[in-house]
Amino acid sequence: MTAPQQPISCAEFQEKLPDLFASGQNGVPEDPIFQDHLDTCENCTALVRDLQYIADQARMLLEPAEEEPSEDVWSNIKIKLQAENGDGVLSLPSPLPS
Amino acid sequence: MTSKKAMIVTMSSESSPINLQAPPVAPGPRPAQGLFKRNPPIAGEAEAIEAAKAGDQEAFSKLYALHKRRVYTLCLRMLSNVSEAEDMTQEAFLHLFRKIGSFRGESAFSTWLHRLTVNLVLMQLRKKGLQLVSLEETINPSEDDAPKRDFGSRDPHLTGSVDRVTLERAVASLPPGYRMVFVLHDVEGYEHNEIATMLECSTGNSKSQLHKARLKLRELLREAGQSPQPTVVKEAVR
Repeated sequence: MTAPQQPISCAEFQEKLPDLFASGQNGVPEDPIFQDHLDTCENCTALVRDLQYIADQARMLLEPAEEEPSEDVWSNIKIKLQAENGDGVLSLPSPLPS
Repeated sequence: MTSKKAMIVTMSSESSPINLQAPPVAPGPRPAQGLFKRNPPIAGEAEAIEAAKAGDQEAFSKLYALHKRRVYTLCLRMLSNVSEAEDMTQEAFLHLFRKIGSFRGESAFSTWLHRLTVNLVLMQLRKKGLQLVSLEETINPSEDDAPKRDFGSRDPHLTGSVDRVTLERAVASLPPGYRMVFVLHDVEGYEHNEIATMLECSTGNSKSQLHKARLKLRELLREAGQSPQPTVVKEAVR
């Protein structure tokens, strides 16, 4: 008969968290000793929940922000490309509004 | 009670050349969560690419118009500086226009352009870092910036929902090393092994930096009085 495993501390659980998230488990452990901790620790449960949420919400940042680069950026691109291709060879039109 | 722990991040000081000429096609950002969401087809893009390859000047301006916001947003998020982000946007499109002939269409054009941009920004940061401090110091934030560990704290967990502006601000205020890994992994969708290659660190470091970035964001969002929707995520916890 095997001896029951000792409960782990919050520190031990949180040390494991980067790997739990990286393994695609979203911080949810398969190992019973970690799951037992999560079942009984409100603090770590809240931590996992918040970190999952932050990771999920990060995806909304993939869509570009409202800000655009200033018109100087396109002007500078045109000037540099014209210089590289010989003055007057390139006459890039202004970009259409996105 | 929270405890603070000094963080040690070991990173190689060797710098390997970054290939700006032809951004790698694979692996690129992961297709998980929907390749089509991340790289939806853009009307007129394919024609503009082919025309640009043939030197059509209007096609250049069309590609710029189609992608300027995403490229600029990526630069701004990685650099947190408007002027530097504009400079890197300019560089990214200059590289694009010079090298568009090497785009073979084996990956989405936006994926290719994003990788090119990420490589340029990282090279720029590495250049700056080498002149001022080592990359290790650049990537590793000071102890004051490090997230606090949460060992049994009785702080209330975050409530409500995070709006985009608040999250943008919080991400912008992350220490550079945390921000970089967070943007590359959680926003852009790169895998840890890809990030490790790009940042010349171990995958363990990438995982660790990402975790610390999320912890720091949690702190920042708590301070801003924002956060998660417990009911949605709670089911996933158990």
